[in-house]
Amino acid sequence: MSAPGAPAVAAAGARQAPGATAPGARPGRRRGRGNWTAIGFLSPAALVVALLLYLPFLYTVVLSFTKYDGLSSPQWVALDNFRKFFSDPALGSSVRNTLMWVVGTTVLPVGLGLLIALLSFGIRGGSGFRLPFMLPYALSGAGLGVIWGFILQDGGAANDVLGALHLPGAHTDFLQHWPYNTISMIVAWTWQQTGVNALLFMVGLQSIPKEPLEAARLDGAGGFRLFRSITWPLLAPLTTVVVGLALVASLKTFDIVWVTTQGGPGRSSETLAVTMYRDAFVSGDYGYGSAVALVLTLTTAAVTLAYLRRQVKTREGLG
Amino acid sequence: MRERNAAWFVRRAVLLVLGLVWLIPVYLLLVNAARPSTSYDQSKIWTPDTHLGLFDNIRQGWDSAGLGSSLASTFLYSIASPGLAVVLGAMAGFAIAVLRVRAGFWWFMLLFGGTVVPTQMLLIPLFLGYSSTDLYDRRGGLVLIYLAVSIPLAAFVMRNFFTGVAYTIFEAARMDGASIWRVFWRVYLPLALSALWAVFILEFAFIWNDLLFGLTLSQTDTVRPVMTALSSLSSAYGGSTIPVVLASGLVMSLPTVLLFLGTQRLFARGLALGQF
Amino acid sequence: MTLVATAALALTACGGNSGSANKSELKLYNDKGAWKPFFQQLGTMSKSQIGLSVNPVGYTDENTYQAFIKASLRTPNKPDLFTWATGGQLQDLISTKQVADTSSIWSDGIDKGYLPKNLEPYFTFDSKQYCVPLNVAYWVMFYNKKDFAAAGITTPPTDWNGLMADAAALKAKGFAPFYQTSILFSFVWFQQLLIGTDPDLYNRLATGKAKYTDPGVVAVMQRWKSMIDQGLFADPGSKEQPADQMKSGKTAMTLLGTWFNTSLVQAGMKSDSDYGMFVVPNVTTGASKTQVAFESGPLCSLAKAPDPAANTKFMKWWIQPDAQSTWANSRKDVSANPKVTIDDPALNTVAQAATGDQVTLDNRYFDATPAPILTAALDAFSGFLADPSSYQKQLQTIQQAADEYWKSN
Repeated sequence: MSAPGAPAVAAAGARQAPGATAPGARPGRRRGRGNWTAIGFLSPAALVVALLLYLPFLYTVVLSFTKYDGLSSPQWVALDNFRKFFSDPALGSSVRNTLMWVVGTTVLPVGLGLLIALLSFGIRGGSGFRLPFMLPYALSGAGLGVIWGFILQDGGAANDVLGALHLPGAHTDFLQHWPYNTISMIVAWTWQQTGVNALLFMVGLQSIPKEPLEAARLDGAGGFRLFRSITWPLLAPLTTVVVGLALVASLKTFDIVWVTTQGGPGRSSETLAVTMYRDAFVSGDYGYGSAVALVLTLTTAAVTLAYLRRQVKTREGLG
Repeated sequence: MRERNAAWFVRRAVLLVLGLVWLIPVYLLLVNAARPSTSYDQSKIWTPDTHLGLFDNIRQGWDSAGLGSSLASTFLYSIASPGLAVVLGAMAGFAIAVLRVRAGFWWFMLLFGGTVVPTQMLLIPLFLGYSSTDLYDRRGGLVLIYLAVSIPLAAFVMRNFFTGVAYTIFEAARMDGASIWRVFWRVYLPLALSALWAVFILEFAFIWNDLLFGLTLSQTDTVRPVMTALSSLSSAYGGSTIPVVLASGLVMSLPTVLLFLGTQRLFARGLALGQF
Repeated sequence: MTLVATAALALTACGGNSGSANKSELKLYNDKGAWKPFFQQLGTMSKSQIGLSVNPVGYTDENTYQAFIKASLRTPNKPDLFTWATGGQLQDLISTKQVADTSSIWSDGIDKGYLPKNLEPYFTFDSKQYCVPLNVAYWVMFYNKKDFAAAGITTPPTDWNGLMADAAALKAKGFAPFYQTSILFSFVWFQQLLIGTDPDLYNRLATGKAKYTDPGVVAVMQRWKSMIDQGLFADPGSKEQPADQMKSGKTAMTLLGTWFNTSLVQAGMKSDSDYGMFVVPNVTTGASKTQVAFESGPLCSLAKAPDPAANTKFMKWWIQPDAQSTWANSRKDVSANPKVTIDDPALNTVAQAATGDQVTLDNRYFDATPAPILTAALDAFSGFLADPSSYQKQLQTIQQAADEYWKSN
């Protein structure tokens, strides 16, 4: 459903905790021959990414300044597409929904993932307890759209369950009205992504050195206080990575919305990526769609850059 | 002591309850995939059917979508691309974290930026490019694009992994006279084996489930990945019944589920091995 | 880098990309991925009869498919045969001057009675024909016979008041009279009510000569709203397949193309005993003939196709009764060829009625409306279904898109 790396897969790996043994002195920046060796190691990956992802995107960048129906040759229209985009009456709701996705997915799947990791960490049969949360990721793809259709549709399984429990919402048509449609799709997404985040947090928890934890325990810290004063700060670099990746994924939210509501009814659950697809492919206005894509990409890039810059600084400060 | 017991209980209770909630959609999936194709009824989705239709449904989906012919190439893509990606990603991570290439952060952003571009907009230019370079409808072409989309994640994970490895290891190995390539291949890569596995598994799942690139960049049944065939089952024009769609989806998730479950322990442990 | 290069080289060796002229196997690109087994059946048949086998290359997402075909025109990887849509989509494609002229196939087909005269206009541009019908479907009402019997209805309605009376009777028995959905097929009732009221307005709307805010269109929306208010429709927010709704009997009638028959059969219903079909009567008696919406997917060939002669040979074979009979009956659908007998008696009857003298065919709204307007309209109709009182606002939204489109086209 989502690009690799986009959802919540992250850099796990080894982390030095403050006060842990220093990893040895680092050399300064490489110069001359050394730097060329490093570039040699980098270039295969960089070349593949540049040729297969950036180069095709360049085509989109050029098209965004044209009017193009896919058949006759593109006509240069300068900034017209961007002007049209910023005056689209549905832009407001598209941005609003995208923001809901950003907030929702950086809070819910990340928060629940953390909770599940903390609760199941170090207990007997922990991986058994985590299993239900891992299944959705493995099952992703075909069938899930149908299942969530069952659940969220008018009079669907969600209404059944809420009714049986005498909770409000038994008669809410979740997909028919904003904001319920966006919110319920965020819930579906949470179901899919929580497990992966939990796993990453597990990895983070396992890489926390035992000494500071033991020391704090001896000082009488426990439960929430232990978490807040020791675990949480030590987990911070990983949290930033998980949140950062969730950010990229949420800004690009497309599949789940397209499968469930196609952005409707009446464009009410559209996200920016859905707007892009709708304009480019459904309306066949590739120039305009490309302009939306460019705006979306620049926004996502700016947010990602800000986040990762921060992460790197944090790490360097620690390391 | 009593406090301990209460915490012991609460932890498991919360996990159990949340876990059961998480299993509800899975339950609906299983029950309705197992229903005979013609006895699906929306008002009875909660109740299992007394007749088991699962295997008939699978056979029906398998035949009408022609799933068999795509399996071999789908396995090729899901194994070859992440396999190459983790090696290239590890090399990049090694260059940034260990060799400390100049402007390392920007090199890193260059690689990670690959996840930022919207996939849908790449399809047409990729098709045009593939057509003019004779990569269209080639298995190699698909391996290449899946490699490209797999690299950002691999590079990201490996960079962070190597950052945590003590630099003294690098120095010691160099002191022994090993070339940089040898240090990477013989020392760093084996150290990272479990992290490499983890990335591999996640990317396997992604490629296995990809539909877009497969549809646009290939045409022959034996080159096209399996999701392109599977997706044809859910169509207004002659699509299959809900139980057939679900059962076929279920059986096609099996490789991912098995890989995922089989390696779950390794997964959690593996990533944590990076401590030195 | 060597790794990648070697791998790429090794792998480009496999995979098939057949080239050159004088083909014995044609690739048929289509957006009806689920019809693969039927295409394959026809491919086997054509191989034995004319020595040309055909293999389908199926897509499931129409939008990606169209973008792909358009792009392929600029590459060496041109499709042999491909399916398309009628209306503006076909016109745009033909204006590139890349589509092969099929005028001779048409004149010959009409002479032999293989192709119906009334379809010809939809394949004609500047008095030349392009493509041949891949399929044809008439938009008729499917009804559950048990529900009708339970509501005491013995014969399908023949006029609008009869239909409304039947709907009321069905509702009184607790059935939802009509199927409705807010996703993709949200235009169906707009189309039916408009052609049944003012077919001329329908056509002028499609060509930009009338506005969505015109009184005639507003009146149609008001009628649609009043039918919703009377509770004559199933829940548009249900994701339950229309065939499943018909099967459980919860929804009594479904207005869709005749291809819906395939889904009903797959769901395990029996034509004629479990369900029947009828042509929807006009709303007003203004038009002399009954208006029926139809759709036809063109099967096209490019002038510069890899082997144009083989394509022509195949298309000539495709339209004749032998091929069409297998094509239609295996899918349990109708054929564009009037000489083909449909095995399913109910389907045959309704197909006869739709092609008879008493009926005028109107091109489906989905094909007749230019893409950017259609996109806005589908969204607006789904918005209307979620909130029927918003119809004025929705019409204005569509008209904005229409103004924008007709300004530059």
